[in-house]
Amino acid sequence: MDIQMKRGLLDVCVLGAIKDKDSYGYQIIKDMKPFFEISESTLYPILRRLEAAELLSVRSAEYNGRLRKYYRITPRGLARIEEFRREWEEILSIYRFVTREREKDDQT
Amino acid sequence: MTKREFFADLRARLSGLSEADVRKSLDFYEEMIADRMEEGMGEEEAVAAIGTPAEIAERILSEMPLTAGTVKKSTRCEGGLRSPWVILLLVLGSPVWLSLLIAVFAVILSLCAVGLAVFASLWAVFGSFVACAVGGVLGGAYFIGIGSGLPGVAMIGAALLCAGLAILSFCGALVATKGVLWLVGQIGLGLTGCFAKKEVEG
Repeated sequence: MDIQMKRGLLDVCVLGAIKDKDSYGYQIIKDMKPFFEISESTLYPILRRLEAAELLSVRSAEYNGRLRKYYRITPRGLARIEEFRREWEEILSIYRFVTREREKDDQT
Repeated sequence: MTKREFFADLRARLSGLSEADVRKSLDFYEEMIADRMEEGMGEEEAVAAIGTPAEIAERILSEMPLTAGTVKKSTRCEGGLRSPWVILLLVLGSPVWLSLLIAVFAVILSLCAVGLAVFASLWAVFGSFVACAVGGVLGGAYFIGIGSGLPGVAMIGAALLCAGLAILSFCGALVATKGVLWLVGQIGLGLTGCFAKKEVEG
């Protein structure tokens, strides 16, 4: 996959992983596994980038006697997902146009 | 590699970042290791699973925008012009830079003088043509008055020629004056620009 495209998809995939409920780093990696095998060192900069862009917010909560960071999607993050959906509908219609069955030439 | 070794190594590699950024990064990886160990991994196995400190540090540093605040202050030049060493250098170097500065000013002044002289002589040419024209007309009138018509008419003719040349030289001198004034203005602007820039930098 094109590296630029992958980068954009990774961002939105992380947003997808926290879309329904708050999640934490390791859980996000496990949820994304079927689509992207990402490592912690890949996830960390993405989370920071999304936080800086205010697409998600971070809070620390106690878990098992230690602090764990939970990530929550912001309204801007949800708007980004909606934008992604519209973009891909457009791309899909282009895809259908490009990959349509070739019309048989009338050879009469 | 144990957790302790891992974090000591990672911290050393992130030493260029601010303490807050280092803390944030270390917290993140600490949480990751703890989560894996809770799932049943051993410490060394969990550490190995998240990657080597070298690649993690490289990733963090490459994604970090180099804006103010992320990089420690020590990398910047501290003190600026107020540092005692700079003042000492300025004092010790004064025989050199002071004389150079005076020379530069002398050159600028002499250029101004040359410009002024050129423009004064142009106006002098104009003035002499005017004087010739006036004198010629008066002289010619006098000659005609005392009865010698031919030299009188010749003199008035010469005076008219001078008047024409005076008009031409007036145009020339006016253009040259405008040019010199424009040039002086530009030099002035350039000099003040230089100093204003230095003030901003200091």
